[in-house]
Amino acid sequence: MEQSLALLGLNHKSAPLDIRERLALLSASELAKRIKAEGTKEAAVLSTCNRFEVYFMPAGEAVETVGNRITALLEQISGAALSRYAYRFGGEDAVKHLFEVSSGLDSLVVGESEILGQVKDAYETARAADMTGKYFNVLFQRALYVGKKVRSETGVAIGQTSVASVSVQLAHTIFGGLQGATALVVGAGSMAETTARHLISQKILRLTVVNRTWEKARALAAQFLAEAVPWDSLPSALERADIVIASTSAERPILTREMIQEAAKTRQGRSLFILDIAMPRNVEEGAHGIDHVYVYRLEDLESVVADNMKKRGVELDRARGIVSEKVREFGLWEKSLGSGREASFKHSDIQEPSRIS
Amino acid sequence: MNYEVVFLKGALAFYALATAAAFVYLYNKDDKWSSWMFRLVGVGLALHLVSFGFGMHYFWKIPDNRYYFPINSFFGALSFLSLATVAVFFLIESRHQLGILGAFVLPWAVVGTGSAIIFANPAAEGLVPALQNYWINIHPVVLMTAYAAFGNAFGVGVALLIQEHQIKSRKPSELCYRLPSIEDLDDLNYRIIVWAFPVLTVGIIMGGIWAYSAWGRFWGWDPKETWALITALVYAGYLHMRFVKGWRGKKAVYVSMLGFACVLFTFLGVNYLSPLHGYLSGGG
Amino acid sequence: MTRILRSIRFNIFLGALIAFFSAVGTILPQIGQEPERANAFMQAHPLWTKFLSFFGLFDLYHSWWFMGILALMAVDIVLCKLWNKPPDAGIVALPPELTNEEDLETHLDKKEAALKLKPFQAFFTSKMGLDDAWKTARGHLKREGYAVKEEFFLPGTAGAFVGTRHRIQRWGSYFAHIGLVVILVGALIRSLFGFVEMVPVLEGGSRRMQRLFDPRSFSERVRELFWGHPWTMKEPVDVYVDKFTIEYYPGTMNPKLFASDARVMSGDQLLGQKVIRVNHPLDVNGVRFYQASWGAGGMFRSVTLKLGKETLQLPQRTPVKIPGTPFTVEADMMLPNFTVTDGQADTASLDLKNPAVRLMFSVGPHKTSPLWLLKNYPDICFTEDAQGQLTHAPAPPFQLAAIDPILFSGIQVAYDPGFPIVVLGALMWLLGMIALFYMHRRRVWILLESAGENSCRASLGAWSSRGTREYEAEFGALAKSLRSELKSEDNFQMTENPIVEVS
Repeated sequence: MEQSLALLGLNHKSAPLDIRERLALLSASELAKRIKAEGTKEAAVLSTCNRFEVYFMPAGEAVETVGNRITALLEQISGAALSRYAYRFGGEDAVKHLFEVSSGLDSLVVGESEILGQVKDAYETARAADMTGKYFNVLFQRALYVGKKVRSETGVAIGQTSVASVSVQLAHTIFGGLQGATALVVGAGSMAETTARHLISQKILRLTVVNRTWEKARALAAQFLAEAVPWDSLPSALERADIVIASTSAERPILTREMIQEAAKTRQGRSLFILDIAMPRNVEEGAHGIDHVYVYRLEDLESVVADNMKKRGVELDRARGIVSEKVREFGLWEKSLGSGREASFKHSDIQEPSRIS
Repeated sequence: MNYEVVFLKGALAFYALATAAAFVYLYNKDDKWSSWMFRLVGVGLALHLVSFGFGMHYFWKIPDNRYYFPINSFFGALSFLSLATVAVFFLIESRHQLGILGAFVLPWAVVGTGSAIIFANPAAEGLVPALQNYWINIHPVVLMTAYAAFGNAFGVGVALLIQEHQIKSRKPSELCYRLPSIEDLDDLNYRIIVWAFPVLTVGIIMGGIWAYSAWGRFWGWDPKETWALITALVYAGYLHMRFVKGWRGKKAVYVSMLGFACVLFTFLGVNYLSPLHGYLSGGG
Repeated sequence: MTRILRSIRFNIFLGALIAFFSAVGTILPQIGQEPERANAFMQAHPLWTKFLSFFGLFDLYHSWWFMGILALMAVDIVLCKLWNKPPDAGIVALPPELTNEEDLETHLDKKEAALKLKPFQAFFTSKMGLDDAWKTARGHLKREGYAVKEEFFLPGTAGAFVGTRHRIQRWGSYFAHIGLVVILVGALIRSLFGFVEMVPVLEGGSRRMQRLFDPRSFSERVRELFWGHPWTMKEPVDVYVDKFTIEYYPGTMNPKLFASDARVMSGDQLLGQKVIRVNHPLDVNGVRFYQASWGAGGMFRSVTLKLGKETLQLPQRTPVKIPGTPFTVEADMMLPNFTVTDGQADTASLDLKNPAVRLMFSVGPHKTSPLWLLKNYPDICFTEDAQGQLTHAPAPPFQLAAIDPILFSGIQVAYDPGFPIVVLGALMWLLGMIALFYMHRRRVWILLESAGENSCRASLGAWSSRGTREYEAEFGALAKSLRSELKSEDNFQMTENPIVEVS
C-alpha cells in the first residue's frame, strides 16, 4: 500500500483554551523524538497558542493504528482527554489543511502572518531532530511557498469579518505591532471577551480588567491571566491603556470627554484606541475629537465588517483557488514519485524542491 | 553627445516607472509591484551614479576643476539632490521594507531630475575662485544629504496625515490597511529627522568654517546661511516639542512639514535673494 | 519670572522669534549685506524708511534688540539646563508607565515582578551553580560593553545586577546645548573685539587702513609689557598691492584666478607679505587679509587705437598727435562695463565685460565733442554733448585694439578672535549630538536565583532608548549568547509578554 500523509490535531475551533494550553507548553523537539518512536517515518509538530497539530507518515503500519498510539502518547503526557477534541485528516485532505494553515485561512484572525513563521519553526525543529525526509522537506517548502503566495496575491489579510477581528486589525493600523500595547477591558460581555481574546492572540504586553463589581473583574482577569483593577482607578488605568474596550451596561457615558482628555495629556501623544461596543454608548461622543484619540462605536465597526463582507468573498475564493491548485500540483508530484520519474513544479520562482532535500 | 544628460534621462525614466509601480501598489495588493518598484529604483540609482560619473569626467576636463565635485551649477546641485533623495529612500526601504512609501518619496526624485533636465544647463563651467576649495566636496554634500533625508521624512509625514485622516474618519478604506500604522510612521518620521538634524547643523557649521577661510567671517547673515539657520531652528523646535511636550502624530508632522518648506526655500527660493550662493543668478 | 525664563516652552518661543526676524532680514534689504539695494529701497520709500530704521530693521542682525534676543536665548539655555532634567531621546519609546524609570530602578529592581515590567524579558535555567553563573554573567555583560552596577549578592540564594551601556547619552543634551552657548559667546567676542574692513588697493599702489591696529604678536605684547610698553598700541597700517593678476577661463569672461602680490606695512616695518588668493589669506598676528574682490575703476595705463594700418598708444589724459594729420587725440575716461542710463554713459559693474573709452580730438584750440568707442563692438559709437547726453554716431574709421587697465584689488581685512571659540563650541555641539542621537542607552537587569547545586534560574529584563524593533534583535542576540555561556539547555524563550508565555 502506498504510504501517504496523515494529520492529527486540534485547534481553537475544536478545543477549549485550557486543553490547548497544556499542549502548547510541551517541548516540540522532545515530542518529536517520542512520536518517532511510535512508528513514524517522518513527522513534524506544529504547536501554537491556537493549534496543536502532528503531521506524520507511518512507517509500515496502518495510519489508524499509529494515529491512536500518538493520541495515547499525548494524553499521557498532557494528562487531558484529547480524542473528543481532535480531528484527523489523511492524504490530500491533510496536504490541503496544511496549505490552508500556512495561508492563514484556518487562523482565528484570518490571514494573520505569524502562522507562517510558526510553520517554518515546526519544520525546522523537525528537521533538526532528523525527523524529516524528502517528502516532508518538499511538503513544508511548498506550504511556506503557498502561504507567501496567498498573502502577496490576495487580500485575505484585510477584510476581516467579525467585530473582534476588525478591531484587532484597526489596532494594527494605529499601533503597528501590538507587542508593546496595553489593553483595558471596562465591563464585561461576550463581545468584549472575544475581542480581548483576539488581542491576546496578538501577544499584547498586558491586559487590565476593570468592573464596577470587583468580583467580576477578578473572575474575568483570572480567565485571561490578566490584572484586575478597582473601579476607582479607572482614570489611571486609562492613562496606561492603548486599547480600551468599553462594554458596560451603564445608562449614561462612563468615559467622559474630560476623563479621556486628562488621560491623553499624560500619554505624550501616544494614540488611544477606544472601542465602544456597549449599548447604550459608554463613551461620550466628543472624545473622538481629541487628538490621538480614536473612538470606534459598534456601528462603525459593523459597517467596516459589512464592507469587508462584500469584498471578502472574492478574496477568499481567490485564496482557496490558489490553495487547491497547489494541492493538485503536489498530488501530481506525489504520484510521480512512485513512477520513478519525478515531476518538477511548474513555478520556478521558488527553490526547486528536489534541490532542497 | 552629453552622456551625463543621456544617463540622467535614463535614470529619470526608471524613477518615473518606479513611481508608477509605487502608485499601482497603493491600490493593488500584489507585493510584486513593490518589489518591482524596488528593482526599478535600483536600476535608476545605478544609471544616476553613471550619469554623475560622466558629469565628473566632463567637469574635470577643465584642469582647474580637478578634483572637485560638479555640484556648483544648478544642474549639478539638482542632480545630486535627487540622487541623495533616492539613495536615502533606498536605504530606508531596504531596512524597513515598507514598500508603500515609494508613492510619497519618489515623485520628488522625478521632479528633481526632471527639472534638472528641462530647466538647468548641463554644460560644465570652470569653478569661480571662491569655490576652488576642498570644502566644496564636503559642505554642500553634507547639507544636501540632510535635505534629501528631510525630503524622505516629508513623504513619511504625508503618509501619516493620510493614515490619520482615514482612521479618524471611522470609514477606513483599503488604503488604510496598505499604509504602515500611525505609530510606525510617526516613529519613522522622527527617526529620519533625528538622523538628519545633526547632519544639517554640522553642514551649516562647515559652511561657517569655509566662509572664515575664504572671507574671514564665520557668519555673515547671507540669505542662504540665514535660511539654513531657520530650517535648523524649525527642526530643533520639532525635536524639543517631541521630547519635552510629547508632541507626536499630526501636530509634529505639521512642524516637520514647515521645516521641509524651509528646506525647499533654502535650496531654491533663496537663489533669488543671495548674492553669494545663487545658482540661478550665475554667482558662486 | 525665572519660572518663565527657564521653561523650555519660552526657549522654543525665542527660537521661533529668531527664525521669524531672520526671515524678515532676508527679504528686507540689509545695509550690511546689500548696501546698494538697501539705499535704493530707502530712497524709494522715505516714509516707511523712517519707521523701519527706527527699529533698526535695515541692520536687523546687528540691532540691539536682535542681539538682545540672542543673548536672552543663550542665558535661557543655561537656565533650562540647570533646572530641567535632560530630555531623554528614549522617553517616547517607553510605555507610559515606565517613564518614571528611576523609581522602578531603585525600588523594584531586584524583584522578578519588576523584571516583568521591562519591555524585553528572557527566562531560562542554567546548568551552573549560582557562584559560577554569577561570575560568568557579569563577565559576559562586561565583554559586551556593559558597565555592571547596583550589584547585590546573597550567597547560596540569589544575585542581581544592572548592566548599563551608553549612559553618556544623558549628557549629550547638556554638551550640545553648552556647545551652542559657546558658539554664541564666540560670536559675541567677535562683535565686541573683531572687525571687518574693505580695503580697495590700486595695482602698484597702497592704501592706509581706516582702522588702527596693534601689529605686535601676542607673545611680543606679553614680553614688552615688562619693558613698560603698553598692552595695546594703535598703529596705522598700509596695504600695498605690487602686482594684481587675473586669469580667465579660455573663451569666457569667468575669472579662473585672481591674486594680489601684497605687502602689509606699519611705517617701515614689514608685517607680512604673500601672494593672496581667494581661499588663501595672509595672516598677520591673527588679523587676516583676504582677496575678496577686484574691479576696474576707470584708470588705465594706455589704450591702443587702430587707424587703418597704424596703431597709436594713448596714455590716460595725454594728448597724442596723429601722424600725418593736424589732429591730436586724447583718451581721458574708461568705463569697464559700458551701458547707457538715462541717455548718459554709465557702467553696469566693475568687471571688464564691455569696456569703452572716451576720446577727444582737437585741432589747435578747437575741440570736437567727445566720442565713446566700445572695444567689443567696433561698429557702435556714441557722441556726447555738453550735457553728457549720448547720440548714436556712424561707425568711425578707427577701432580700439587693446586696453591696458589699472585694476584695483579688493582686500578684506578681518579680525575674529572669537573663531577658535566658535570652533570649540561647534565641536562640543557635534559630540553632544552624537551622544544624544546616535548612542542609545541600554539597561539590562539580571536576576539569578539558585535552584540546587548545579542549577540556577536566570531572569533577564531590558530597556533601551533605541527603537524597540532594533533593540529586540540586539537583546535577542545578547540573551542567546548569555544562555550558551551559562550552559542552559532549555528551549529558548524570549518573551515580551508575561501573559502569553503559554504560546
